[in-house]
Amino acid sequence: MKPGSSFVRSTMLMLAVGIVILLVIVASSLWLVHQNAKYSDQTAELRRVRSATIDLFSTIQSAESGQRGFLLTEEPSYLDPYAEAISQLPARRATLSKNIVGKPEYETHLAELDALIDGKVKEMEGTITSARAGDRTAALDMVATDAGKNSMYAIRRILEGFLAQTDERLRVIVVDQLSAANSLQWVTLGGAIAILLVVGGSVAIILQHVRDLSRAHAELAILNAGLETRVEERTLDLMRANDEIQRFAYIVTHDLRAPLVNIMGFLSEFENGLKDLRSHMLAAPEKQTDESERLARLAVEEELPEAMGFIRSSTRKMDSLINAILKISRDGRRKLMPETLDLKATINATAASIYHQISASGGELEISVDVPQITTDRFSLDQILGNLLDNAVKYQKPGRPLKLAITAHAESRNRIRIDVADNGRGIAERDQERIFELFRRAGDQDQPGEGIGLAYVRSLIRNLGGDIIVRSELDSGSTFILTLPSDLTKIVRSMEP
Amino acid sequence: MKATGQEVTIVMIEDDEGHARLIEKNVRRAGVHNEIVPFTLGKKALDFILGEARDGEVSKDRYLLVLLDLNLPDMSGIDILEQIKSNEHTRRLPVVVLTTTDDEREIQKCYDLGANVYITKPVDYEGFATAIRNLGLFFSVIQVP
Repeated sequence: MKPGSSFVRSTMLMLAVGIVILLVIVASSLWLVHQNAKYSDQTAELRRVRSATIDLFSTIQSAESGQRGFLLTEEPSYLDPYAEAISQLPARRATLSKNIVGKPEYETHLAELDALIDGKVKEMEGTITSARAGDRTAALDMVATDAGKNSMYAIRRILEGFLAQTDERLRVIVVDQLSAANSLQWVTLGGAIAILLVVGGSVAIILQHVRDLSRAHAELAILNAGLETRVEERTLDLMRANDEIQRFAYIVTHDLRAPLVNIMGFLSEFENGLKDLRSHMLAAPEKQTDESERLARLAVEEELPEAMGFIRSSTRKMDSLINAILKISRDGRRKLMPETLDLKATINATAASIYHQISASGGELEISVDVPQITTDRFSLDQILGNLLDNAVKYQKPGRPLKLAITAHAESRNRIRIDVADNGRGIAERDQERIFELFRRAGDQDQPGEGIGLAYVRSLIRNLGGDIIVRSELDSGSTFILTLPSDLTKIVRSMEP
Repeated sequence: MKATGQEVTIVMIEDDEGHARLIEKNVRRAGVHNEIVPFTLGKKALDFILGEARDGEVSKDRYLLVLLDLNLPDMSGIDILEQIKSNEHTRRLPVVVLTTTDDEREIQKCYDLGANVYITKPVDYEGFATAIRNLGLFFSVIQVP
């Protein structure tokens, strides 16, 4: 399993858990708010019941006090509170019965209460009417029956029952409310802890992941750096070896040249001498019989000139070979002058020189460059490309129009790859290394050449810290693959002691 | 070849005896008959030109022309050139560098040090002979102090 997918899975899981916990907390809060509203409504209702109960009771008590005071003193002023209470009583009773509608635990007592209150009111009215009529004794007798006192007791008992019931219910509601608030507190606390755990877990996972990533990144960077250092080291080794070979070649060819000057020089002196000898011999009359003279004439006229001809042509050949090596070593010893080049323009310019040769035979040339620029030695790069393109034209398959494709792209951060692909006659596999060797050629020797071009190219490109290889199939074409550092100055700087 | 009425001596510093012989032959063919003093070692040549003390006193009143090869077994021709051109008695002597080296930096260096002519020995003998003969013509117009 990839580490990335497990990371995604566990973080997604953490996220889901967090969301669920949050939803639970939100739902609990909503539920509690709803509960609270319900409790508030109930409380308000109960308080209304309570005050209605108290109001009713105190009104009845006021009426009774008024009645008693009047009966005791026969002062009409005591009738005022009585009258007021009796006038308020219906409203008080209505308020109570309205507030207990739908509450069976109260309603069941309502009929009894009504009867008791009616009885009480009747008793009070009876006594007061009697007293007013001046029959105080009858009134007191009515009081003495204890009917009013008993009904008052009963009323008090019922109303006190109402109050007690109301208070009990209020207490229960408060307890419920408290426990709901409490449980929400716990849910919230628990949720908060759970969210903290989830967040903490997620942060830990993310941190772990980030640490893993950065460790992997660091490892990659180290590997990369190691790889780049190895490539650079190899490049430097190659350049040094190349440099050494070129210096060696330069010295050797120079020292070879000195004796060659002598061979050619004295050969000419020899020829001049022979010319004099020949004219001297030809001037003297020929003696047919003298065998030694016949041989001498043969030598002077045929054998010596022939021998000298071979010496001369061999020396010339040797001179041209030495010059070829000199050319390679001299260009190799040239001081490299790195400059920043537009690679596309450089390739286009080189390709332009062979364009007419390609188009004349109906061929195609395709150039695609993905690298904006390269910092390298212009002369070397021109020579390398020029030689490769000339070869492509020179060694095209007879009867097949040349198709040449040049592509360039960045192979890594600091190396550029250029492919020069043709559909020419190709190179047999056994010859693919030989063609880069000096004076070696491959295939049909139907084209003029000394076997220098590719050796020269390889020497030049190695000087630039690059290399060249070939992929080819006989009769179907060749691709020369060049790799070059994108910035020669970096390599040249590190080459300097 | 004369300078202010005196014969000019040609000092030839060349380690390859074949080359020396070919140079001499062609110089003669060009009609130059001045004395040629050949040296194969740089040290011996310097002894002759600058004296063993290397002070150049010996050449004070001499009229010399130096033919110099750069590749010598005992020392570099460049050193010889430098010593001749930095001595007050010999620095006006014409020096012709005649060598197989055709490296541009080398040529530039010789001219910088005061070489009067630089000739690359061609392998092709015709070219070689022509170069030497031209040198002979050059000798006849050169101003030797």
